[in-house]
Amino acid sequence: MILIFGGAYQGKLDYATQRFDLTENDIYRCREDIADVPKHGARLVNELDKWIFALVKAGHDSNGAVKRLVADNANLIVTCNDISCGVVPVDPIQRAWREAVGRALAMIARESEEVVRLFCGIPTKIK
Amino acid sequence: MRIFVSGGCKNGKSFYAQRLAKDAAGGRPLYYIATMRPVDAEDDERIARHRGERDGWGFITVEQPNRIEEVLQKCDIGGSFLLDSLTALLADEMFPHGGNVDEAAADRVIGGLRQVIEAVDNIVIVSDYIYGDAIIFDPLTELYRKSLAKADREAARLCDVVIEVAYAGITIHKGGELYEERV
Repeated sequence: MILIFGGAYQGKLDYATQRFDLTENDIYRCREDIADVPKHGARLVNELDKWIFALVKAGHDSNGAVKRLVADNANLIVTCNDISCGVVPVDPIQRAWREAVGRALAMIARESEEVVRLFCGIPTKIK
Repeated sequence: MRIFVSGGCKNGKSFYAQRLAKDAAGGRPLYYIATMRPVDAEDDERIARHRGERDGWGFITVEQPNRIEEVLQKCDIGGSFLLDSLTALLADEMFPHGGNVDEAAADRVIGGLRQVIEAVDNIVIVSDYIYGDAIIFDPLTELYRKSLAKADREAARLCDVVIEVAYAGITIHKGGELYEERV
């Protein structure tokens, strides 16, 4: 597994698309309102944080769901927005989401053979 | 050397950027491009504090809250420039007075910025890293974040050195060797 993370709009998907020569068919784009497991067979799952938001909002066990995704897809590339650097949200769902994304990123980073952070379009390999 | 500096709010970026710009001047004119158009007492206070922090550094202040390319007419392009900040520049272009929103502001800012970066030898451009929140913003705020990120990425691409500042610590994302060699 390869994890590519960074703040919003830092060029994560562009980086992955170029580096791994991906086409739109290779990419599963998560949405805040879809809690289903990302499409099987996609090479890249984009914006995992959005899927986690849907899971948290629906009251599902997001931690368990992310663990299963990692266990079932050893060769997956995952991009995720790092949402850990701001104010603690007042809204309880956004607060739970923020914590769930932090735990998911820590777990995926542990399981990944490579972790890349994007900053203003520039990649840095941190593992 | 063209240097792009970003990082969290109020974490010492401006002071660090001031030093970089001053070091690069070497006797040539040292320009501070002031980008904030004050709208209330809080802004006046912030500006007064920043002016106080620059006192005695030898900066020539140039007011340019929009149309950044116009500094090329006002200044000696052989000087050393500090543009602080891209954040304020985009805000002024995107939310001009009168309550309108200009959705094409990012492209205009990028166009002007490109002219400036290509024309000068020494510039330090400061921006704010506002991309790590766990808040679902209203569409307008989200558009502003997306637009600033676009301008940031372009500035980072055009500059020789890209630095992330976090209080006393800096991370050099681009141009590390060049940065180390500077005098």
